[in-house]
Amino acid sequence: MENFRDADNREIVIEVKDVKKKFRSYQDKASSLKERFVNPSRGKHEDVMILRGISFQVARGEAVGIIGRNGCGKSTTLKLLTRILYPNEGHINMKGRVSSLIELGAGFHPDMTGRENIYTNASIFGITRKEVDRRLNDIIRFSELEEYIDNPVRTYSSGMYMRLAFAVAINVDADILLIDEILAVGDSGFQKKCFEKLKEIKASGTTIVIVSHSMDQMYRICDRLIWIENGLIRKEGVPKFIGEEYLMEMESGRIDRIEVENQQVKEELEQQLQEEATSESSEETVALIRRQKEIAHNETLKEVCKFYQPGARRGGRGGAKFTFVTLENSDGEETNVIKTGEYCRIRLGYKIEEKLPSVRFSLGITRDDGVYTYGTYLEYKESFKDSGEVILSFDNALLRGKYVLDLWLETLDGEALDSVYSLMPIIVKTDNDEERGFCTMAHKWTCV
Amino acid sequence: MIQRIKDIYAYRDMIFSLVRRELRGRYKGSVLGFLWTYINPLCQVIVYSAVFSVIFKVQIDKFYLYLIIGMMPWTFFNTSVQGGTTCIRAQADMVKKIFFPREVIPIAYVTSAFVNMLLSFIIVFLAVLVSGYGFNLQVLLFLPLIMIIEYLLALGIAFIVSSITVYFRDLEQIVGVIMMAWIYITPIMYNMEYVPEQYRPLIVLNPMTPIVEVYHQILYYRMVPTTNYLLLAGGVSLMIFIVGFIVFGRLDRNFAEEM
Repeated sequence: MENFRDADNREIVIEVKDVKKKFRSYQDKASSLKERFVNPSRGKHEDVMILRGISFQVARGEAVGIIGRNGCGKSTTLKLLTRILYPNEGHINMKGRVSSLIELGAGFHPDMTGRENIYTNASIFGITRKEVDRRLNDIIRFSELEEYIDNPVRTYSSGMYMRLAFAVAINVDADILLIDEILAVGDSGFQKKCFEKLKEIKASGTTIVIVSHSMDQMYRICDRLIWIENGLIRKEGVPKFIGEEYLMEMESGRIDRIEVENQQVKEELEQQLQEEATSESSEETVALIRRQKEIAHNETLKEVCKFYQPGARRGGRGGAKFTFVTLENSDGEETNVIKTGEYCRIRLGYKIEEKLPSVRFSLGITRDDGVYTYGTYLEYKESFKDSGEVILSFDNALLRGKYVLDLWLETLDGEALDSVYSLMPIIVKTDNDEERGFCTMAHKWTCV
Repeated sequence: MIQRIKDIYAYRDMIFSLVRRELRGRYKGSVLGFLWTYINPLCQVIVYSAVFSVIFKVQIDKFYLYLIIGMMPWTFFNTSVQGGTTCIRAQADMVKKIFFPREVIPIAYVTSAFVNMLLSFIIVFLAVLVSGYGFNLQVLLFLPLIMIIEYLLALGIAFIVSSITVYFRDLEQIVGVIMMAWIYITPIMYNMEYVPEQYRPLIVLNPMTPIVEVYHQILYYRMVPTTNYLLLAGGVSLMIFIVGFIVFGRLDRNFAEEM
């Protein structure tokens, strides 16, 4: 890899080429002699391909994030870069000194003081005493443990322990820094400090490869994301784009999973009920039936909304209910994808089954990360029909993202007659790339 | 090969700190602490010398001295080999999570046992003084040489057993049995004159025999070690060391996966 350069004439410091890695998966591993003789079949194994041939390059000073669901091979990739594991096929070239923030506090001895452990721990990263001497003050200052540094580590709280470990690891001079999901150290103040330090390290020209599930951190530090799926690189590119696509897919995976789980729960309840029917424990039977009813009640929402999502919940004491819920775009078509700035309508069909003096229709929109985004309500006091429709028309000010719809049909004292949570996903698309955040605002830039 | 040696050299400070940790950690929290380094082999020597000089009536002058001179190097060797089988597994957490030349672990382990032996030689020297035999100072210069030779042998075997145990755990027990027998084919509790003529070559095949004999020659007989013993000890130890280093290098790539 002699001064290998990429298209932009940057120096390549990490080159991964057609790397394949398989693990042996034993049914039940026999590692002692007797077991091997007594039961030879136990030694049988299957090879599981974790990486099926991945290639990528990282240029000097670049920060690359690796994302993917659990078991996709991202941690294996990092371990291959660290040289803890070796590829079965293909090769990896790294240029410069590699340091990894994978295992914090390796080699800490509880009876030794913080100061002594700094030396031990640093030596495990291949750092000489002399180098540690030079950075000792930096490390202690970073850990914020000045007063405790000469106490044995066993007297530390777990937070202090991790702070010390992190301080050593991050104060290592390296050309390439590998990080696996560790920016969750200490309190939020310390986390922020670590993050700032990481940015500083990046600015000084260190190449970084990071594995994390925190997209937020990834967006802020990475120049590029690599998405690994089933041992192959699915996609790579600008963090924001790759990240959003990935999250979107994870979300739909989650919803499919809920559907599957719901189905399983239903079947299990059915079976338990049959078993209970023969026995006497009525209390449990009641609980089971209640649970079954709940599920059935949730599923009535399928008829209410075409875009019903599994996981939607329905409550309320009854007496009134929603009969249909639709979202229409500006062309009057039923949809669940709308644009920022578009004129839309939400139509709510209802039916009131008992005598009520007044009702209230409430509507809430929540972003998929749980942030309550918008809410409104309509109170109906007199001369309302027993069944009919209320329509909410609005100019959509929400920006790109995924939202869910919650609805309530209540009495004026707030007693819920019918309540619906996470009924349908609403996908908002934004044409311009200039605005970010929750919602659009009428705005104007001026140069003076 | 050269690269491996360079890597290990780069991690020399790790070796030192592991040795320090091992030595300080071993007796931490026990009342007598570091004294156990002495008490343990001392008791062993007392028991053996009682049994062998009273019951078996071994006719060796100042038997306790003869015994103690052989026992200290043996204890080092025994610890290195026996403990060597598990030393990699004991550090599984580290091996699975961070990179460092894996050789560091057995080297640190054997080195800490070696330091223990050096300390226990204080007892040996005291015993020599007590016995009134005195020292032959010129001959004493050979002592570091034979210690280094024994260190190479112990490390070579530790390389082999530690790496194989990762894949094959029974080795730990097998080695236990072998070591139990091994002490009896080494002239520690008897001297070569007790061994029937026809079995002597067998005893000499044991790489520990020339080593223990050289220790005896230096400290007990106070004579310049015989060249053939020195060459035999040095040659065999170096060979086993090299074989061990190569075997370890072949096996260490999959350590992280096997544990």
